[in-house]
Formats: sequence, structure tokens, C-alpha cells
Amino acid sequence: MRLLRQALLLLRSELRQELRDFELLLTAGFFTVVLLAMFYLSFASLQAKAHLSALPGLMWLTVAFVGVLTLTRVFDREREADTLRALLAAPIERLAIYLAKAAMALLVLMICCAVLVPGLWLMFPAGQAFADQPGQTALLALLGCAGYVAIGTLFAAGLATGAGKNTLLFIILYPLTTPVLMYALVTTRALLDRDPALPDHLTQMFLLDLILFAAACLLFETVLVGAPARAPGRRPRHPRRPDASVRQDMSREPSR
Amino acid sequence: MSEAAAAAAALHGVSQRFGRKVVLRELELELHPGSIVGLVGANGSGKTTLFAVLAGLLQPDTGERRLFGRAADEVDAEARARLAYVAHATQLYGALSARENLRLFADLRAAAGLSTRPADEVLLELGLSAEALGRPVATFSRGMAQRVALARALAAWPELLLLDEPFTALDAAGRGMLSRVLLGERSRGAAVLLSSHDFDALVQICDRIVLLEGGALVRSVERHERHDRHDRHDRHDQNHRHDHRDQRDQQDHQGDRENFRRRAAALWHDLPADPGDTVVDGPR
Repeated sequence: MRLLRQALLLLRSELRQELRDFELLLTAGFFTVVLLAMFYLSFASLQAKAHLSALPGLMWLTVAFVGVLTLTRVFDREREADTLRALLAAPIERLAIYLAKAAMALLVLMICCAVLVPGLWLMFPAGQAFADQPGQTALLALLGCAGYVAIGTLFAAGLATGAGKNTLLFIILYPLTTPVLMYALVTTRALLDRDPALPDHLTQMFLLDLILFAAACLLFETVLVGAPARAPGRRPRHPRRPDASVRQDMSREPSR
Repeated sequence: MSEAAAAAAALHGVSQRFGRKVVLRELELELHPGSIVGLVGANGSGKTTLFAVLAGLLQPDTGERRLFGRAADEVDAEARARLAYVAHATQLYGALSARENLRLFADLRAAAGLSTRPADEVLLELGLSAEALGRPVATFSRGMAQRVALARALAAWPELLLLDEPFTALDAAGRGMLSRVLLGERSRGAAVLLSSHDFDALVQICDRIVLLEGGALVRSVERHERHDRHDRHDRHDQNHRHDHRDQRDQQDHQGDRENFRRRAAALWHDLPADPGDTVVDGPR
């Protein structure tokens, strides 16, 4: 309960900051629209059958690009003022930071999907299946983005506390999110094909998300502050007098 | 109670390295309640890393970290509730106001069942004007932001206060105010560790000043006041010897202060001249 309350407080703070400058939403939203326009100009002239094959790729490619942009910006706010360390030193459940950041990134991605999916439907006739199955389309977008965010938030946080550059996030994130994106790709194809096995695909995506979230939750604190060393060498090799190494020759008053 | 158990924080044989760089070497330090310890050292001597280890932001590679009498392999939320850390950066959200910054952390503490001083009260105490409390921190000068960062730390009634160069960017009035506040924290029983390049401020408020060099505490000077004599003196009421003894004690205290200042100046003089030259390569 404490974890949830703290996560909600942090999310509220994120939203408050976002609503003052709309930095995340404007950046991600504009990038989504630009990608949509590029896809339209490149693929609109293809046959409808080709659209069916291309749409899943276009959709999740956009999510991958916009996702990494969002994750970078979510943690840039913390990096610029070093506020993440203030949160880490505060008496809060550190997992609450992860949950709040992941929720914020997921929210931004879902808003982008709210632009992306109707855009794909309007531009490509094969996207009619999105409009015909709105509930399943929304669930697909949610599950795909959630899996992506689960991993992405973990590594973006690790890079925000270290000396890592944002470019590292691109290098690390894409290989690690490949399974999620592949699953999402296959499920999207099933949705467009009106495959009766779609619920099974969605269930599998849900389970994959659960595994990824559980793994990220377990690793988050370690990624941020490191694991305590438990080797025998952790203890002092021999008992020490406090401050024994400090030269105390000038530490006392000369006797009067 | 052993000396180690009484300490608010203790590091024994703590080492920390980043890659091949040894930043802290077999470090020994104890911080006791009701005392202010000043930490001096050249740039790159490991001061900030030492603070990060004490605050639980870094796990030491070797050695033992104890907080509030308990071994702290990990600095859990319970221990973090009793300490406050003000880093060299102000660590404030620029888009939020001073009040909102403090309230965020107060709300987070409240969610954990911890109380905090009212944001406005502590901000005003640290010299921020009422008009400034509602303004975004991004519009603040560095000195004002520093006051907000200090206010956030002090609002939590910490038992262990870790301050990495807290006098940075503060004007003369701000420095005086902070010195008074820290002496108040000491009187309350808090253990304070602060680093600074402000010699006068350190000498004025610290009970002990330690020199960090090459990641190790190499020298220390301690204020040694004659509390025992003073206590004895307090038990005597007015008598004909009182004035004479009071005068003699005042002279002694003055002498103590001068002596502490002189020894601290000698330690200060030993600071390496070149920034960053005290981090040494360690064996693999």
C-alpha cells in the first residue's frame, strides 16, 4: 500500500511537471506524426496486400523509436538536476520510482498510440481491422507498450544514475526489447488477419509482460545503487580502533 | 553502549573504486550524535563518494558501514528516514515551486508514516521570502535553490545530516544563518558531516575537522573544550570566587578556540594544491 501511494505521488509530480511544459507529449507526439507522414509517403502506393504485411512493422517500429525518445526524456529531467539521487536517498520504497517512471512512459506511449493507430487506419486500408476490433487493438497496444516500458525504464534509470550516455540506451534497449516487439508484431498480424487465435497471442503477451515487470522490479534497486558485496573481504581484515588510520598528533590540546 | 554502537554513522575499512580508480581507501570514520565534523580535501579526494556511501547511494566494495548502531549492508528505508543528504547539486525539480518540491518529499515521507516540518515554516526560517515560495525553482538563483535544498533536508528532523559543500553560493547572511541552523541541529542531537572550502565557517562550527587525501582520512583536528571544568563551575552559586573563575574559563575557551583554529589552519595548509591529484590508481 505504501509502495502504491508513493508511486502515485511520484506519478502526480511527473504529470504536474509535464502539464507545465508538455515537453514529453509534444516531442513524442510530433515524432509520431512525422513517422506517420514518412510511412504514408513511402508505402501508400503499395498494394493493399503489402500494407497488411507492412502495418505491424510500421506500428511497432514507431513504438520502438518513440519509446526510446520518451524514456530518455523521462530520465533527463532527473539527470539534469540530479534529482534521482535525492529520491534514492529519501525514505521511500525505491521500487516506487520505477513504477512511477514506467507509468509515465507508458502513458505517453499510449497517447502516441492513440495518434498512431487511427493514423495507420486512415492512411492504409488494411488498417480497417484496427477500427473493427477497437478493444483488442487497445489491449494489444497496451500490452506491447507495457513490455517495452518494463525493460526500458530499468535501463534508462541505470543510465541516468551512472555516467552513461543516452546513446547507450539505444544500444542496450533495442536488442533487449526484441522479444517483446516480435511478440507484438506477431499478435498485430493475427489481429489484422482476424485470426481466431488472437486471444491466445494476447494472453502470451500478458504473461511475457508479467515476467519482464517482475524481473525489472527485482533488479531495479541493484541497477541503481549496486548490490551489497557479501564476500568475506567485506569485513575489515582485523578489528580497528575507530579512526586508527587518522594521525591524531594534532588532535588534542597541549596540556597547560 | 560501545563507542561504535553510539555512533550515528560509522565506516570501518571502507574502500570504493570506480574501475581502476581507488576513490576511498580503507576509510575509518565515526559520526556521533550532537557533533559536527568538517570534511576537507582537494577536488577529487573522494568527499562526494564518501557522502554517497554514507547516504546509501553507493555500496562500498569492501569494509563495513554502520548506521544508527546497526550494520547497514544496504541502507534501507528505515535508515534513510533518519538521515538527510544535501548534495553539491541542489537536486530540485526546476518546474516545481520551492513549496511543491518540499511538499513532494513531505508527502512521500507521510506515505511512509513519517512526519515532516511544514514546508513554509522551514523555508521561511532559511531566509526565503514568502513571495518566492510559490515560484518555480528554475527561476531561483543558485543561493536560493541551495536554501530550498537545505530546507528539504532540515524539514525531516534528521538524526544524521550529510552536507556536501552546503555553503556553496550562499551570501554572508546565508552562511551565518546556516551556521546558526547547524549549531541548532547539533544541540538537538543530530550528527552532522559537512564538507566545505570555507575555512572560517568550518572552524566556527565544527567539533572536529578531518582531512581526506587520496581517499583516506589522513589527519584530524578536534576541538577540545573544557566542559568538565565548566560543569563543575555551574554547580557553584554566586560566591566571591565565581567572577574570577568565570573570567579564567572565558580565557581558557578563547584559548581553546584559537588553538583549534591554529591547528585547523595547519591542516588546511596541507591540502594538496592541484585539484584531482589525490585519486590514486590502485592495484587490480
